[in-house]
Amino acid sequence: MFRKILTSTALAAAVTLSVAPAAYAGKANDTLVWSTTREVAVADPYYNNTRELVIIGNTVWDGLLFRDLKSGEFVPLLATSYKWADNTTIDFELRDDVVFHDGSKFGPEDVVYTVNFVSNADNGVLTQANVKFLESAEQTGPNSVRIKLKEPFPAALAYFAQAIFMMPEGHYDSAPDGADGKKDYGAVKPVGTGPYMIQNVVAGDRIEMVRNEKYFKGGPKGQAGIGNLTFRTIKEMNTQIAELLTGGLDWIWDVPKDQAEKLGGMDNVTVTNAKTMRVSYIAFDVDGDSGDKAFTNKKVREAVAHAINRKSIVENLVGPASVVIDSACHPDQFGCTQDVKKWDYDPEKAKALLKEAGFGDGITTDIYAYRQREFTEAVIGDLANVGIKANLKFMQYRALRDLVWKGTTPLHHMTWGSNSIPDVSAITSHFFGGGRDDPAKDPKVIEALKVADTSVDPEVRKAKYKEALGIISSELYWLPMFTYAKYYAYTSDVDFTPTPDEIPRFYTAKWK
Amino acid sequence: MLIYALKRLSIALLVAITVSLLTFSMIYLSGDPAIALAGESATQQDIENIRKVYGYDRPIIVQYAAWLGNALQGNLGHSHYLKTEVSNVIFDRLPVTMTLGACALSFALALSIPLGVLAAMRPNTLVDRFALTLAVIGQALPSFWFALIMIFLFGVSLRWLPITGSASWLNFVMPSIALGYYVTPAVMRLTRAGMIEVLSSDYIRTARAKGLRPGVVLFKHALRNAIIPVVSLAAVQFGFMLGGSIVIETIFAINGLGQLAWESILRADLPMMQAIVLVLSCFYIVLTFVADLLNAFLDPRIRVS
Amino acid sequence: MDDAVNKTEQDQVVIADRTIDEPSPAERAKKRMLGHKGFMFGAIVLGVILAIAFLAPLISPHDPLDQQLARKLIPPIWHDHPKVTWAHPLGTDQFGRDYLSRLIHGSQISLLIGFAAMLISGVIGTAIGVAAGYFGGRVDMVVNFIITTRLSLPVVLVALAVVSLIGNSLWIVIAVLGLLIWDRFAVVMRSTTQQVRNLDYVAAAQAIGCSTPRIIFTEIMPNIVNNLIVVATVEMAHAIILEAALSFLGLGVQPPAPSWGLMIAEGKNHMLFDPWLVGIPGTALFILILSINLLGDGIRDITAPENRN
Repeated sequence: MFRKILTSTALAAAVTLSVAPAAYAGKANDTLVWSTTREVAVADPYYNNTRELVIIGNTVWDGLLFRDLKSGEFVPLLATSYKWADNTTIDFELRDDVVFHDGSKFGPEDVVYTVNFVSNADNGVLTQANVKFLESAEQTGPNSVRIKLKEPFPAALAYFAQAIFMMPEGHYDSAPDGADGKKDYGAVKPVGTGPYMIQNVVAGDRIEMVRNEKYFKGGPKGQAGIGNLTFRTIKEMNTQIAELLTGGLDWIWDVPKDQAEKLGGMDNVTVTNAKTMRVSYIAFDVDGDSGDKAFTNKKVREAVAHAINRKSIVENLVGPASVVIDSACHPDQFGCTQDVKKWDYDPEKAKALLKEAGFGDGITTDIYAYRQREFTEAVIGDLANVGIKANLKFMQYRALRDLVWKGTTPLHHMTWGSNSIPDVSAITSHFFGGGRDDPAKDPKVIEALKVADTSVDPEVRKAKYKEALGIISSELYWLPMFTYAKYYAYTSDVDFTPTPDEIPRFYTAKWK
Repeated sequence: MLIYALKRLSIALLVAITVSLLTFSMIYLSGDPAIALAGESATQQDIENIRKVYGYDRPIIVQYAAWLGNALQGNLGHSHYLKTEVSNVIFDRLPVTMTLGACALSFALALSIPLGVLAAMRPNTLVDRFALTLAVIGQALPSFWFALIMIFLFGVSLRWLPITGSASWLNFVMPSIALGYYVTPAVMRLTRAGMIEVLSSDYIRTARAKGLRPGVVLFKHALRNAIIPVVSLAAVQFGFMLGGSIVIETIFAINGLGQLAWESILRADLPMMQAIVLVLSCFYIVLTFVADLLNAFLDPRIRVS
Repeated sequence: MDDAVNKTEQDQVVIADRTIDEPSPAERAKKRMLGHKGFMFGAIVLGVILAIAFLAPLISPHDPLDQQLARKLIPPIWHDHPKVTWAHPLGTDQFGRDYLSRLIHGSQISLLIGFAAMLISGVIGTAIGVAAGYFGGRVDMVVNFIITTRLSLPVVLVALAVVSLIGNSLWIVIAVLGLLIWDRFAVVMRSTTQQVRNLDYVAAAQAIGCSTPRIIFTEIMPNIVNNLIVVATVEMAHAIILEAALSFLGLGVQPPAPSWGLMIAEGKNHMLFDPWLVGIPGTALFILILSINLLGDGIRDITAPENRN
């Protein structure tokens, strides 16, 4: 009996050991291994909405357009040119020298297929925010397509650049049937046109990519500089750092500031701090739904705004690429202005405001958060210094979002990454356009945003966004906090430049 | 015997169903799976769409009944998040966790049984004190701390052992020790207590009196009896290890069942979570059953009764 | 199913494991207590930690919540570092809060977690264990079913799921742990009660018509209390270690409360470069659990002769 158990265990061990390939990282093997803490099981940018798939999406696939980070302009990628026919129609001319990883040629039928497939709600695309504005596509010539939008949507170009990736025609036809009778679209073998192709997916553990040697010449992305690219999931930051120091990993990010600074002092590691599109904000229960009426009083909201030392949090905890923001958007987004009411750090004034509001003895409340607990903890410390005792409720994003919608959170400290879309419509319109995420439902704000979102005149958009952002900040529906900055740490062997949109371009990396 | 086995099986099934109902309602009531599926930047409308397409708009009880019906037919369902059959993923991950658990248990037994025997043979001596100290310290050291210390010592400073991955048996050394040492004290104490009791029993005295060699007495007669409760304990601990290896799997980036369970909780992957809890509870039930058989094998008295 | 429970019972045998003490009279218990090094060590250390917890507001040099980011990460005094100061003998954490004060206040919370979770699980486990052992039959069957169900639930997983979903205040963590770890109480109390129930004086009490609650409280309970205390110490240590594991995964007690588990969780990201941030609360936790375990072992050794197993 014992022997049997031992044999079967040995067998199990042998099986496990033999299927797992060794992880070789580094210049010697021409393999760049990068890691994040998130598990990735589905390698399809439409059926997985993690940041990792945004990165892999831009690495393995191409969109019709490309965002030139230097100029901020959208330049053609799979297209050769584009033109707005009217405010809901865009015409694209396409390249004719592009082939998919499986060898088939890229053409207008692929664009028509992809757009019509992903815009069909029945197909259950998970990244709904990226595709819901699409109406349909049709071929208009041997190398041209016309894409119709559901309604005027000036920000559409950004989505064509980094969210709507082209799949070959009929790509999802081979999807297996799921147990529930529905098609399992995410299980299709990934095929794209991008600088890398996916070679192997070990669900939840790693994704191995190799350079696409046939990538088309003369595009803005260009041929990849490193032969192999492997993504690995390692959940524990200490383990990631240990692997980076011993050569098991080449590239990590989201390193906390103190560790990043100390890692920077080591010989073989390069550390940089780069901007992201993510912003941090505190939202107040303006209408008192949570039962905690304190924040219906604007003086209390002002007290909170004066109590929090955002500058100190940015300097001590976030990183040099982070900035304090005063309006409910990211400064890099189109239409975002910082020309709004500002609330300075002034704890004495905060105490006085609390007294005026009738809370001279202090307030006890709950603050909800889901990400970077240390930032929220610093907020709690600042609030405690003026007499507001905020107990932290730290939970999963989905649980918290549910509570926010039910209106049961007096204060919540959350973040928004806008899917890296450089347009105010991806954040302010979402939170103050009157939907469930809107804490105030101020009709003036809703109206201004509606005009701004659908106008094709950039000046009108800017003016209307400014109006809305001005009200939000002066009424303190939100206290905008700061922009996120990410610490990247990578081996000094690699020549890599972080980008300000949280989409690392691994295809531009080279060995030194 | 057959009736006994059937009775146990039906109770086991009932336990498994109760456990699955508990997990299902717990996870479901605490947050909307559609929000998890739709991701961080989804709007209300996006989430509504996803809820409808993936069937989360049906009443909870209907969803549970549908799941149970399929599960009873051997269909564990489909993970909307991983886009694949739940059973495929589980069969992928189970061997990893089982290997880890088996290595950890082997380590624990290899350390604790000899120590326990030695301590029992020489009670209240230095050996006994050493074993006791080890046991007490083992119980008080949080496993994650121990694991991280090992990583920094053997992985980064000395570079003796690889930190993550599963490329060779060396990868399993640190995780197995980190997972296994926590079991060591209990097994050691049990072995020691059992041996002391057996060694002072009449039949061992008789065996000694008959002039049998001490080694034969010790291993053939004494240990064989003292080990019976240890087998049961080891079986139960193995079950617990499979369920409790989350922390160790997280630290050493081992892609096993523990990590899968943790991730599935986070993303409200109900079918996956359900299946894991079901598998783990079945494991527990099977293990205790196997332990019984082993005991019967080791102790003829049980076999007869 | 009976056997499933019996297996775990054997797991519990650990508790009843006794050294080869020769039987000796009860009045010598005190002497043995003083002569038992483990017991004395455990009792004294636990006493000191308890005293620190009760006197925390008086003896802690700073407010444990006073955050000043400008003075963050000052190392403890034994480090050779320009920032080291006697104003913060154990240094400051990543928010510039005095580490010694947090450690002192944290003792309250760690003890509270251990004690309260032990109390909840003790009440549940003892109630159903004694009921099963005393009444037997159907009651025993149902209780066995509940215990088996509980044992086949992976504790860490369930605790994680609940806490990660409904949030994790101090009381939620205590309640979750308390509701999950009662199995050992139930199993041990069940078997001990079974043994005591069949003793002559219980039969005598039943014969003279004593009420059931009276029999349970006056005849049964006093005879199982030794085992109860031993299990209680084990479970208290268990709860504290579980909270630390939850904290490691970011799901233990939440700020601003300074629990040792939370201190470890917050310090763990600094483990490579500032290991003392984890080392100090980790050592404190280690000593606390060690002393509770030694105390439990001691009580078991000392009371073993009077045990009825």
